[in-house]
Amino acid sequence: MLKFFSKRIVQIVILLFIYVTIVYWLMEAMPGSFTDKYLMNPKITPEIRQNLAKQFGLDKPAFTRYLYYMKNFLKLDLGISFSYFPKKVSSLIFERLPRTVFLFVTATLVSYILGYNLGKRAAWRRGKILDKTATFVGIVFWTIFLPLLAIFNIWLFGVILKILPLNQFINPNVWRETNLSAQNIFLKLLLNAFIFLVVMMISLIFAQRVKTVAAKRTIVLLSAVVTLSVSIILWTSTGLGIYALDIILHMVLPVFTLTLYSFAGSMLVMRDTMLEVVREDYVVTAKAKGLPDRVVRDKHAARNALLPLITNFVISLGFTLSGGIITETMFSWPGLGRAYLEALNSQDTPLLIGLLVFTGIFVLLAHLIADVLYAFLDPRIRY
Amino acid sequence: MLLSVKNLKMHYKTKMGYVRAVDSISFDLDSGEGLGIVGESGCGKTSVSMTILRLLPDNAEFKGGEVLFDNGNGEPVNLVSLAESEMRRYRWKGISMIFQAAMNSLNPVYKVGDQIVEAIQNHFPDTPTDVAKKKVAELFRLVGLDPTRMEQYPHQYSGGMKQRAVIAMALSCDPRIIIADEPTTALDVIVQDRILREIRAIQKKLNMAMIYISHDIAVIAEVSDRIAVMYAGKFVELADSVTIFKRPMHPYTYGLMHAFPSVTGKKVDLVTIPGEPPDLLAPPRGCRFYPRCPKGDKLCEEKDPEYVEVDKGHFLACHHPVQPGEVVQFNAE
Ligand SMILES: Nc1ncnc2c1ncn2[C@@H]1O[C@H](COP(=O)(O)OP(=O)(O)O)[C@@H](O)[C@H]1O
Ligand SMILES: [Mg+2]
Repeated sequence: MLKFFSKRIVQIVILLFIYVTIVYWLMEAMPGSFTDKYLMNPKITPEIRQNLAKQFGLDKPAFTRYLYYMKNFLKLDLGISFSYFPKKVSSLIFERLPRTVFLFVTATLVSYILGYNLGKRAAWRRGKILDKTATFVGIVFWTIFLPLLAIFNIWLFGVILKILPLNQFINPNVWRETNLSAQNIFLKLLLNAFIFLVVMMISLIFAQRVKTVAAKRTIVLLSAVVTLSVSIILWTSTGLGIYALDIILHMVLPVFTLTLYSFAGSMLVMRDTMLEVVREDYVVTAKAKGLPDRVVRDKHAARNALLPLITNFVISLGFTLSGGIITETMFSWPGLGRAYLEALNSQDTPLLIGLLVFTGIFVLLAHLIADVLYAFLDPRIRY
Repeated sequence: MLLSVKNLKMHYKTKMGYVRAVDSISFDLDSGEGLGIVGESGCGKTSVSMTILRLLPDNAEFKGGEVLFDNGNGEPVNLVSLAESEMRRYRWKGISMIFQAAMNSLNPVYKVGDQIVEAIQNHFPDTPTDVAKKKVAELFRLVGLDPTRMEQYPHQYSGGMKQRAVIAMALSCDPRIIIADEPTTALDVIVQDRILREIRAIQKKLNMAMIYISHDIAVIAEVSDRIAVMYAGKFVELADSVTIFKRPMHPYTYGLMHAFPSVTGKKVDLVTIPGEPPDLLAPPRGCRFYPRCPKGDKLCEEKDPEYVEVDKGHFLACHHPVQPGEVVQFNAE
């Protein structure tokens, strides 16, 4: 186990270096010079320009610059943004990271939970109404053009029904009276969501231990309700509730749209694997043992069909860090996806490289986590 | 009578039509008895057991008949008319099964012991886990497995060990009947023989009824009190094992006997029955064995022989039974 992981980590480090190198040279090969872009910025004073040039080796040949970049990269310094001068790329990324994480992790989580539940039911009732409807709806949303779906949702919920705020991440009118920073509230909200997630995971693990389905349900429901009410009480008692609510309301539409768009993928994967698993002999055995239909479906069939889905899930979590460029743009959500677009538009090469490198790191980490989870869920896999 | 199957019919619906896999099967089973069902692969042996336990795939259509199960208290229940939730209570506790694909009968993600505990607690919900585990340990010893292996996963078992675990699982709820569907075909011959004898010994010891299913009459001969011969979805002959061997009356049984080296010790020529079993989508109009039968005539072609008791406890479906001492010649075309 330990040997496997040390091997994997070495692999990841090597891959990361190769990846950073490729990204760096790709950017370097783009038309227009990295150096010029930096140095022609009128906002940069001559002294700073000289300092920068020295720090990043901009007066040196490309290869030396690459070595400089790598050296800085090792110190976790991704350089200074050009368009947000003099902000550091890393601090820009870390400012936007939580917003993207919150939005996309929520959407990914919701769509996978939905996909898992629908997929297993569809496969279990193969050829019946539920299966046919779910597959049809799934394929429609799977093939739909995302901007179209986003515009439609904005139009329906924001313009016609007027129940959800249109775009942006906060409503300035709500925040005018206060000097609270939205980022601060947002981070608190994120922490709250994280705690909720951890509590739910623990209660799910506990629920595995009890026998009856009713007891399992009670445990999960109870812990959800308790955590939620404690959070709500805390938020309202501190008076921060309205701000948190404002942020949440702004999240609903993008999360909903993303979920609609992406649940189909997980549902179809789940349905497919489940259809294979239900033909396995151990599923017939479970039924022959006289187990209730639901236990056969969930404990014996779905548990085995879960494995490929988990891998997909973790890897798509890794990719959420890149943020959906389209989604964030459509909903004016100031996350990493928007940062990509801005960096491209303003030819902010350091930011672009930084974003790409960051995405790479997370995808590689996600693969590692997928390996760990797989070993945890499938006793046949031992490293 | 522990189990009484009457005119059981089940067909699979396919695009090409109905596959008549179980076509009017009748038999009785006494407690403590071992009944063998033998027939070529594809004749419907597995389908019969799955119909009895109602574990059929979606395209299966039940076409009639009764499965009367007497659990010892009062009237026998007809399993085919039970609601699914009621039926569940008879599975495993009433009738359990050792599946043809025993190798794959264990769920790969759960410990073997836990899978057996699950069966016990499903039928006896008040059993504390440690008591259930003790019972599983006992069963493991009974089938010749080391109880410490309860904590292992199926992939840590060898083929023979999985087989034994599956047998332990089948025994776990003290069923009245166990159906063993080719329980040993995946194993090598020596292990196969040993396991079958062990199953038989356990069956006798615990006084359970057993249905042994095999395509090989030699395999089940020594463990069955009675043997039913199945051909193309029907039983063609049923009698006690000695009679089946000494005086087979159906030409098919006769052919089967001679297709394998005789177990009585006397050396007999090895003859196999030429031809193929009929397509169950469109079986012959008359006797289903007619196209392969050397004794077949006009009557056999036109009329399906009835399955009747020709002698005490000896059932037969044939217009022209093999006479004592008669030699039936199967001609290869
Ligand atoms: N789900 C199914 N759909 C259609 N035909 C089936 C199905 N299952 C089995 N059959 C057919 O039914 C017949 C009997 O099968 P089976 O009961 O498995 O025979 P055996 O156990 O004697 O080998 C075979 O011809 C087989 O092809
Ligand atoms: Mg079979």
